[in-house]
Amino acid sequence: MSKRYRPLIPFLILTGILIFVAVFAPFLTPYDPYLQDLEGALAAPNSTNLLGTDRYGRDVLSRVIMGSQTTLCASLLLLLTISVFGSLIGAICGYKGGKIDIFLMRMSDIFLAFPQMIFAVAAAGVLGGGLFNAAAALAVIGWPKYARISRGLVLTVRSMPYMDAAKMAGTGSIEMLYRHVLPNIAGPVLVTAALDIGTIIMELAGLSFLGLGAMPPTAEWGAMMNNGRSMIQTAPWVILSPGAAIFITVAVFNLLGDKIRDVMDPKNQRREVF
Amino acid sequence: MRRKKFLAIAAAVLSMTIFGGCGGEKAQSPDDKKSFVYGTMAYGVAMENVGTNPHESYVGWSTLRYGIGETLFKFNEKMELEPWIAKDFEQIDDYTIKINLKENVVFSNGKQVDGAAVKACLDDLIEKHDRAPKDLKIDSITSDSLSVTIHSTEKVPALLNYLSDPYGCIIDTEAGEHDSIVVGTGPYKAVKVTDTQIDLVKNENYWGEVKPKMDKVTIRSIPDGDTLTMAMQNGELDAVQGLPYSSLQLFTKEPDKYKISRTDTSRIYQAAFNYKTPELQDLNVRKAISMSIDKKNFTEVLLNGNGTPAVGPFPANLSFGDNAVRTVDYNLDEAKSLLEKSGWKDTDGDGYVDKNGKNLELRYLTYTSRQELPLLAESAQANLKKIGIKLNVNATDNYKTFLKSGDYDIFSKAIVTAPTGDPEYYFTSHIVKGAVDNAGFYDSPEITELENRLHNTYGTEKRSEIAVKMSQKILDDCALFYASHLRMSFVMKPNVEGFTAHPSDYYEIRPELEKK
Repeated sequence: MSKRYRPLIPFLILTGILIFVAVFAPFLTPYDPYLQDLEGALAAPNSTNLLGTDRYGRDVLSRVIMGSQTTLCASLLLLLTISVFGSLIGAICGYKGGKIDIFLMRMSDIFLAFPQMIFAVAAAGVLGGGLFNAAAALAVIGWPKYARISRGLVLTVRSMPYMDAAKMAGTGSIEMLYRHVLPNIAGPVLVTAALDIGTIIMELAGLSFLGLGAMPPTAEWGAMMNNGRSMIQTAPWVILSPGAAIFITVAVFNLLGDKIRDVMDPKNQRREVF
Repeated sequence: MRRKKFLAIAAAVLSMTIFGGCGGEKAQSPDDKKSFVYGTMAYGVAMENVGTNPHESYVGWSTLRYGIGETLFKFNEKMELEPWIAKDFEQIDDYTIKINLKENVVFSNGKQVDGAAVKACLDDLIEKHDRAPKDLKIDSITSDSLSVTIHSTEKVPALLNYLSDPYGCIIDTEAGEHDSIVVGTGPYKAVKVTDTQIDLVKNENYWGEVKPKMDKVTIRSIPDGDTLTMAMQNGELDAVQGLPYSSLQLFTKEPDKYKISRTDTSRIYQAAFNYKTPELQDLNVRKAISMSIDKKNFTEVLLNGNGTPAVGPFPANLSFGDNAVRTVDYNLDEAKSLLEKSGWKDTDGDGYVDKNGKNLELRYLTYTSRQELPLLAESAQANLKKIGIKLNVNATDNYKTFLKSGDYDIFSKAIVTAPTGDPEYYFTSHIVKGAVDNAGFYDSPEITELENRLHNTYGTEKRSEIAVKMSQKILDDCALFYASHLRMSFVMKPNVEGFTAHPSDYYEIRPELEKK
């Protein structure tokens, strides 16, 4: 591996562990995360239940592990949706220009004018809660950022000599977009997406915390924190465990995003050369 | 030097900002023996009880709860009626009742409460209030010096009970309403009313034998359970109502520092089966679900003992309550065999029973503003899974949209079933065909016939008998399941006296309230 990418390794390993836990969660949980045992409710952490049990007697560790699947999958899918959809819109606007550009960019201005979380709370509330509705609410408000970024990048790429060359060679619009435009804007979009993962995890967990995301009994970190909120003094492990999981995951993804940005920053590359 | 000075000033300003923000505004010191600060979750815009004018929506609850207003009759601990502003009554005929008033009752402005004042108040009530005219069915009111005679358009056997509803608080309509403040007859009078707080002062003209002992009372709305808990812990409040069950144990384990007053109320946590759902038209399925609700563990573990397992809609302290009816017991094996009898078996081994290739999957709608409901939903979900029914819970405060669209199979809610000590309100509002809150579209000819009888029957005993038959019919049909009756708790400092929870959930601030 090039020396340039070495700082990424520890964060890639940590991210890999998180993703591994999320993917294989059903096989890693010591107990059924949904099995209620009211007689064993609110047991403090012990050798049997390492992170204790919640008010329904469910094993908190099993729910935290299962929650990683819900939280991470929902966040990554949401991120994939808004980054791909937003980038495509931006690329079309930047490449085509004209009325389509004006219309879609004014649309994005309207969405950008809303405070993101407040809009998501309102939309999820109207839609009636649920993880899908919460993700849909965040998607509606999240795409313009990517559209703006990719449009700006496309405008730069469009004026490059290789674009003129491709045009003269008779390349069609769609082929120009996927062969020459999208690959050239993918890097910055990827960096933005990497930096956004933490935010999206927080936002989704936030909606669930407010009761507008995952529905019971789904093991989801925000919803688990909400369930344990009133027990912060009497059974703190119920809220602290998913809280710590969110903290660690967001920190890992944010650090990974920062490192990716550093690695891909042309200024840093130049410094390496000289 | 200059820089140091600037830094010092900046640090001082910053500290003042930070600590100022932490402190909050204290209406009055709770250490003052003549003032009382009460934190509650039950006052606020969401509850439609902001203000003091009982002739608007549910505002009467605040008028009555906080000692501003009083009704003609009141409920005792057994939810039986006792005279309050009224001295007694005479039932002249099935349609006419004469209520005689006490001679010494005065409004907080010193004006006597006479027949004309009560008539003016009741006229204003039926003109402005949304529910009162439908309950009271008043045709005309006449008044004498110290009595009012009410003539109804039809028989209203529970008229006195309805007049004891919080909307029946007697206020001085001539004095009007200024800044959401009305003139009542209670031991305290409001001096400032906002969406989050009511400031009260002693009513120097109070007519009752026991005179109010506090100079000032502050009612603070604190809708967040954790904030309420911490406000009580750090001594900002003298008493609280509405603590989360998980927080309550923080206070019960310190009997030297806190006192607790508890009472069973007629608030029930129930769930109605939607008869429009084909699967739920089968009695065996409804019975199997009812049998799968573990009421004992729900009340003991999830509600931390702050409830009593329910049999029917009314608590045991009422003559038509739980002691007079019976229902199915918690029995998962029996529930499974009932499903089998109806052809529901797990043929594909996925853990859920199925029939004609379709799993038994139901949508459970509820809301979160009552902390007990999501707990009941999740508990029911886990137990129904054990008998092979998949329950998809939708716990949303936007539930009215789903009720309107019919997107639910079971709807769970919390409701006070006997707010006026009489059973008819519950049946007419939730059970009879076409009732506004009959979310399950339950339609029983026997219930309709019994309700007609109840509506035309006078006398507590006879009415109780009919109510028991109606409750039993609902339970036999498994039209709804009843999980638990709420046990209400007030937590207070040890020096607080005369502040006790009442089964009606109405009378909170009373003249007996004092700090020793």
